[in-house]
Amino acid sequence: KDKSSASKDSTPGGAAKRQEDGAETSKQKLLDVIGGMKVEVSYRKKLQQLKASENKKQAMNKLEGPDSEGSVPQGITEDTQRGKPLNPELVKAASAVASSLPRNKKQTESELLAQLRRHEETTDKQKKGGTINIRNVISEMTIKKKSPAQRGVRISGRISLQLDEDGQRLRRERSSAQSVDSKRSLKVGKRLNIFTKASTEPEHALKTVSSPTIWDLEFAKEVAAVTAQPPRNGFEEMIQWTKEGILWEFPIDNEVGMEDDAEFHEHIFLEKHLEGFPKEGPIRHFMELVICGLSKNPYLSVKQKVEHIEWFQNYFEEKKELLQEI
Amino acid sequence: MAAVAVCWALRAARQVLPSPCPRQVRSYYVDWRMLRDVKRRKTAYEYADERLRINAIRKNAILPKELQEVADKEIAALPRDSCPVRIRNRCVLTSRPRGVKRRWRLSRIVFRHFADHAQMSGIQRAMW
Repeated sequence: KDKSSASKDSTPGGAAKRQEDGAETSKQKLLDVIGGMKVEVSYRKKLQQLKASENKKQAMNKLEGPDSEGSVPQGITEDTQRGKPLNPELVKAASAVASSLPRNKKQTESELLAQLRRHEETTDKQKKGGTINIRNVISEMTIKKKSPAQRGVRISGRISLQLDEDGQRLRRERSSAQSVDSKRSLKVGKRLNIFTKASTEPEHALKTVSSPTIWDLEFAKEVAAVTAQPPRNGFEEMIQWTKEGILWEFPIDNEVGMEDDAEFHEHIFLEKHLEGFPKEGPIRHFMELVICGLSKNPYLSVKQKVEHIEWFQNYFEEKKELLQEI
Repeated sequence: MAAVAVCWALRAARQVLPSPCPRQVRSYYVDWRMLRDVKRRKTAYEYADERLRINAIRKNAILPKELQEVADKEIAALPRDSCPVRIRNRCVLTSRPRGVKRRWRLSRIVFRHFADHAQMSGIQRAMW
């Protein structure tokens, strides 16, 4: 048993040595090996065989490189599948391996122990049944028999033209409907992070702007004319009128079309716009009256008020010569 | 991509073709006087702000009189159709300049015609 554990630890030892050599790829390989050591709930034997062959290959690659401790590859694969040794033995073995290596004993020992701890954690998780592995997702993919009822539903979903206002929203509705239909929904499960989130939205926007050909417009008009059925009852008529804008939306919103983002103080305290004017004299008096009137006006937006004041400023600038004669 | 373009075009088309139900569409103004009235309304809308500001300068006792005289000349120089006084509230359907009720923008004859055919909402023959 000691021999087996020792030989098992020799592979991480050998990998640790290569870590010190400074190649990152060996560390990756090591992690893959440790990750591959997990046993799946389903397709157990198949995956075991897969892993065995992988480990064999990787061990061969590692060991046939620079000369390391002589360990038999076949022995390693057997150990990885059997291996759930006790903790104190592991610790002993790790320390033994670290001591056997020429450089940085403490570092190798700590690294080995850390990796072993990780391995333990993952095996525990696996026992409970919560593995997080990409192989999990692939194992989940089974060939499912579509029932004829479901098939009918999907086809009908595709045919019914749910013409929405936003074309993009239409597509999302369809996809979400399909995801809801199938038992294995699209949004559940771990993200594979295989595809980078390419920005497709601006591409689509550019494409739609650049190619609204006349034929497209004509086709769209035809489709709209065909699909727009006359309203079957009063409710549908009212819906149509609301969409056209003939009927208001209820409950009545008093501020429809009025987007006043400015706070009340921007409407009332307009003195800061009076900086371009002389501080004394009839013009100042006049502008203060103007500002008083504007502050009491609820119908203008802040932008319009500012425009008024700026116009007066320009006007008095132009008439400066005339004013100085007076 | 093509689907998206079609959907976008659909949206545009729906704005162009509001509904399939036939409605009375008027493509011409009733007569030339109505057209001139429409032009006057447009220019009055464009020059409304300027007129307001120049009149504010003219109609006050604070600013010097020379300035007000200059403003007088300026406002006289604006196009004649820009003053709101020249707008006449004509009947929308017949372009009749007199006898137009403001609430419905219709002349009395048209109003009576529609009311008798029960096409005016909330209008009933008076009887008391």
